Amino acid sequence: MPVRIITTHLEFEGRVSEQRVVMEGDEPPVWGEDAELRIVGKPTPRVDGRERVTGGATYTYDIQLPGQLTAAALRSPHAHARVTRVDASRAEAMPGVRAVLHRFNAGDLIDPNRDRSVFAEELPYAGAIVALVLADTREQAADACAAVMVEYETLPFVVDPEAALQPEAPRVLSDRPHNKLNDEYPQTYQRGDVDAGIREAEVTVEARFETPAAMHNSMETHGATAQWDGRTLTIYSSTQDIFGVRRAVAKALGLHQNQVRAIKQYMGGGFGSKFGPHESGLLAAYAAHRLGRPVQYMLSREDENVAAGHRSATIQHFRLGAQRDGTLTAIEQRTVGNLGALAGWFPATAMATKELYQCANVRTIDEGARTNLGPFAAFRAPGVVEGIAAMETAVDQLAAALGMDPLELRLKNYAERHQDMQRPYARKLLREAYEIGAERIGWATRDAEARRYPKGRDGTLRRGVGMASQLWGGDGGPPAQAQAKLLPDGTAVIITGTQDIGTGTRTVLAQIAAEELGLPLEAVRVELGDTEFGLYSPPSGGSMTLASMGPAVRMAAAEARKDALEIVGHLVEAPADALDIRDGGIVNRETGREMGTLGSYLEQLDGHEVTAKGMRGPNAENVTVRTFGAQFAEVEVDLGTGQVRVRRIVAVHDCGRIVNPLTFSSQIEGGIIQGLGFALMEQRVVDQRFGTVMNANLEQFHIPTIRDVPEIDIVLLDRPNTYANTLGALGAGEPPIIPTPGAIANAVAHAIGRPVSGLPLTPDRILDLLK
Amino acid sequence: MPNAPSQSPDAAPTAAPHRTVHLTVNGIAHEIEVETRRTLLDALRADLHLTGAKPGCGMGDCGACTVLIEGEAVYSCLTLAVACEGRAITTIEGLSSSDGELDPVQSAFIAHDALQCGFCTPGQVLAMKALLARNPHPSDDEIARAMSGNLCRCGAYPKILAAGRALAGHPS
Amino acid sequence: MQPFDHVSATSAAAAVELLQQGGPSGARVIAGGTDLISLMRDRIQSPRLLVNILPAAAALRYLRFEADGALRVGALATLADIERDPHIAARLPILTQAVRDAATPQLRAMATAAGNLMQRPRCWYYRGEFPCWLKGGDECFARDGENKYHAIFGASPCVAVHPSDLAPVLVALDAELTIAGPGGSARTLPVERFFAPPTDDERIEYRLQPGEVVSEIRVPAQPAGARGAYVKVMDRQAWAFALVSVAAQLSERDGVVERARLALGGVANVPWRVAAVEDLLTGQRLTPALAAQAAERALENAHPLTHNGYKVPMARAAIRRALLAAAGQEE
Ligand SMILES: Cc1cc2nc3c(=O)[nH]c(=O)nc-3n(C[C@H](O)[C@H](O)[C@H](O)COP(=O)(O)OP(=O)(O)OC[C@H]3O[C@@H](n4cnc5c(N)ncnc54)[C@H](O)[C@@H]3O)c2cc1C
Ligand code: SF4
Ligand code: FES
Ligand code: FES
Repeated sequence: MPVRIITTHLEFEGRVSEQRVVMEGDEPPVWGEDAELRIVGKPTPRVDGRERVTGGATYTYDIQLPGQLTAAALRSPHAHARVTRVDASRAEAMPGVRAVLHRFNAGDLIDPNRDRSVFAEELPYAGAIVALVLADTREQAADACAAVMVEYETLPFVVDPEAALQPEAPRVLSDRPHNKLNDEYPQTYQRGDVDAGIREAEVTVEARFETPAAMHNSMETHGATAQWDGRTLTIYSSTQDIFGVRRAVAKALGLHQNQVRAIKQYMGGGFGSKFGPHESGLLAAYAAHRLGRPVQYMLSREDENVAAGHRSATIQHFRLGAQRDGTLTAIEQRTVGNLGALAGWFPATAMATKELYQCANVRTIDEGARTNLGPFAAFRAPGVVEGIAAMETAVDQLAAALGMDPLELRLKNYAERHQDMQRPYARKLLREAYEIGAERIGWATRDAEARRYPKGRDGTLRRGVGMASQLWGGDGGPPAQAQAKLLPDGTAVIITGTQDIGTGTRTVLAQIAAEELGLPLEAVRVELGDTEFGLYSPPSGGSMTLASMGPAVRMAAAEARKDALEIVGHLVEAPADALDIRDGGIVNRETGREMGTLGSYLEQLDGHEVTAKGMRGPNAENVTVRTFGAQFAEVEVDLGTGQVRVRRIVAVHDCGRIVNPLTFSSQIEGGIIQGLGFALMEQRVVDQRFGTVMNANLEQFHIPTIRDVPEIDIVLLDRPNTYANTLGALGAGEPPIIPTPGAIANAVAHAIGRPVSGLPLTPDRILDLLK
Repeated sequence: MPNAPSQSPDAAPTAAPHRTVHLTVNGIAHEIEVETRRTLLDALRADLHLTGAKPGCGMGDCGACTVLIEGEAVYSCLTLAVACEGRAITTIEGLSSSDGELDPVQSAFIAHDALQCGFCTPGQVLAMKALLARNPHPSDDEIARAMSGNLCRCGAYPKILAAGRALAGHPS
Repeated sequence: MQPFDHVSATSAAAAVELLQQGGPSGARVIAGGTDLISLMRDRIQSPRLLVNILPAAAALRYLRFEADGALRVGALATLADIERDPHIAARLPILTQAVRDAATPQLRAMATAAGNLMQRPRCWYYRGEFPCWLKGGDECFARDGENKYHAIFGASPCVAVHPSDLAPVLVALDAELTIAGPGGSARTLPVERFFAPPTDDERIEYRLQPGEVVSEIRVPAQPAGARGAYVKVMDRQAWAFALVSVAAQLSERDGVVERARLALGGVANVPWRVAAVEDLLTGQRLTPALAAQAAERALENAHPLTHNGYKVPMARAAIRRALLAAAGQEE
């Protein structure tokens, strides 16, 4: 097969990069509007549902290898310190303890993603790892942790991001000249002239909006189980990215990539926080390699919440200018991001600011502040959730200042093209999303007395309706590969190296393969989550998986089908293109004659397996592919107690073709519920005096319970986006969380009749706003 | 942190007390030798290799470790194994029949997609099971209340409610 | 969790006996374990001996109405037992309300009524690694720190709040405890007096002598026509400790309040009874205006900390509602 190399562009969580695609063969033509599909598009229960409801699914936490040791970590209590001495002698002598690793005996373990020793001398946040105990049982490991004696030299620290950016602030990392993310910060994007835009504006709005640090709290914490057999290091990792694990572990241990095997069959959630092996995976691998015993290191909930990431906090200042008729003349956003000590990038808080509204004069300034807090990590549309919440509340304030309907103001400034890249969107159904959502929520009556002032609670209840918009990429991209095998009995195995992180990847890939192969769903089995046998797949995140892997699987299936028909054609002495596979049987296309099952032919081949490879082709050039959508929220605020209850959310998102409406709606609901948590309750609390996170648990860091869930009304647009890829499908992981906090915040502002200043909208914040 | 946490030597125990405990798990009688401080969750997972009950927090804050003791849903992370002497425990592994037939609660969870990553699912299924055993036809509010001790970070809640409503015999 | 010995008691007397063997501070009763295990896991408490009292269920797990209308709650009755009891729902619905939104179904199935009164504060400095005053240290870190969930009343050096939902209701119902002590002794004590703010010498929110075991909670018969209501304000719809809670119990005759009890939770390190309001209400007709006045009066002496000023208006609203609900004037 001739090989072609094509250059294309890929967007991942708001960042665009150039990518080379190697193509062997051609992708099948796009499934357009008129494609007749039997399995794709039908609500399909998960193919691995059984394992998940019976306890049969083995999560990383559940791996139990003979002789496996358990690890527990000792972490720094200081916001900033240097470790000067570790005395582990007493701990090492305790029953069941096999090793205690720390700076002075394991300083050679380098985290390749941070280029820094895992057991660093400088501990830049409370919760930074100091020592790892390996013991036979969990209790023994905990006992030994408490017996390790550490001497620290404490250093000055700063946890407030604005304070950290002052010239006289203590250095977060002592070898850096400042606390800015890097020398390129603050980073400014500019188009037109914002100051002129503000001057020519007839109405201006200035708003400050704070968003909290929110911890992911995946139900399964970060961690890994590793085993070294002298030849291969096998690592079971709770990860969204097995190939990233393989790469980093090989590098850290000085092994070849073919000596590392990363496996992830089931994982208990990631939401962006589980790319690469993380410190926990490196430690498990290192310890297993060094001790020659299997090692499991799973983080405690508390360690997870201080050390394994969170959505970074922001302080955003918006300035908007408009003419009387609502035409925007200026948009300015200044964002201070509290990135923690070990950050490497800045979340895409400005993505929507640059794009969402038609405006000639736009400026965004990103100020990345390092602080003596744990590292942040990507969290479902990192930056975009925060940016949209702040901007959409500012837009509502502008609407109020103009005396205009907020939706009308948005339509007035509707951007038809991608203004920054000056090119069209492949498709933008946002206007339609606005219209449908407005209709479903009853936007027209949002100010009706009877609706705003419900009875009850001695007249202290208020209702409000608000909305916010959503944009995101989600078209995926290369490289992503898959292989299809047809076995002698006519069933198929699809081999990939992707991950199903709970989104239903295994199921949609099986649907796509079954569709293309002409087999019933039950005849297709999808393998994933193992670097040893799988083919390269991208990390599962950024709404990338389906749109990247789906086309690769489809191409592999199409090629296998072609080969199979070729073979059958030889056997029946008919041209291959006169034949087809339908529901596992061979049929003559013209006559419709049924000619027996596919298996009845393949089994004549003495065990030969038909195999074919597929890969994701390049992305469309010269257009921008986006998912657009809108959500509308209706809330009830208790003015007496400050409690907010979300009553209803209407969600309209264009994610192209919907491969599985059942799991799609689960994704949308899950995103909305996380967005609701971010809007109403999730907030890391730090004692500024000590730099300690006070609520690194699930008791005082509240996430929604089943009783917090509102009525959720999802409108399926389900129209293939033919620019996106050969499925016409876009990802749906990120889109649903993006507008929820903004919509809720606007609904609350509507209910209480005053703007809100940030999230979360906890009772104390509401009561303060009402003061 | 103010004057670093006291690193006063924790008078390290040399021999932690052990006990023999008899448990009937999923209908099978077991005798295990455990430290008195071993939780039921750890005993099930480490001693009996039943990993269906999941550790999510160890503090009664998540519900992933839910099991049934004498039909009542409890958190196994806050239960000492020694306190379960002679008790009958059901874990997710014991819910489907030995020939592999799923419990109606399990089937409803699959049909309604009441799970995403699935890590909270064993606990959710058992909480639902305990509810229906007590109250075969719960109202929507009763379902939500009974399921309010099991967090799901993936947000499968609407589908869990749907599964519950179907099991309770409500029209969908 | 530190290692410990574990023994079982099949009666309150046996538990008393076993506790004495364990020495004054080294032995503890364990009931549902829902609070004790988490304290032990974090090494905030490390008893050397646990006396498991659950095997005494046959004797201590019951809910019984006496002929005179008093309710006797065995120490080992669980919150779920109370929640599911139809007689309590009919005769003392305030008690049902108190447990319905406490913790979670699983925790309520495990948590005992007596244990609920002796749960320790949820202050995050106390539960964290801080050597705070309540743990025997010198300083209360919450007073000038992160005190959003802390007290607005009280004069103890500790500003943590009592987390129990049951406690304010029992205070409003004038309930009493029966406490078994060494040598077969027993004493009774009003729940209200069982609680006392921690002091330098006794850094704990309740007073129990070494070796004592709570065996029963007795709710006396309420006057005819008495009604109550419990209002709990949380920052999510379930599984949250009260930001503020209010237990109001009123007896009215011909529309006039004859006797009132008002106790608040989440505002002080013990359930906070507001006698001044009880006096204000007595002899009056409960109107929305009077309820508002009572709420105002109840908060008069509140002294919020840096981050919990919101509790004042919140408590006002909750008191107003609890009083109106108790008087059957809910909308
Ligand atoms: C996540 C979580 C959320 C919670 N939410 C709430 C809530 O919203 N509202 C609420 O009210 N509570 C709440 N609780 C607290 C819970 O209700 C209490 O932990 C429980 O009631 C304690 O009872 P137990 O039987 O488990 O006590 P244990 O944990 O067994 O004991 C607690 C203490 O009481 C002592 N003790 C117990 N019984 C006796 C006795 N008979 N005599 C003498 N001493 C005794 C023990 O020695 C120990 O010191 C929550 C707990 C958790 C973990
Ligand atoms: S409020 Fe009480 S428990 Fe909390 S820090 Fe102060 S003394 Fe300790
Ligand atoms: S692990 Fe038991 S409740 Fe979280
Ligand atoms: S399904 Fe992932 S936590 Fe519930």
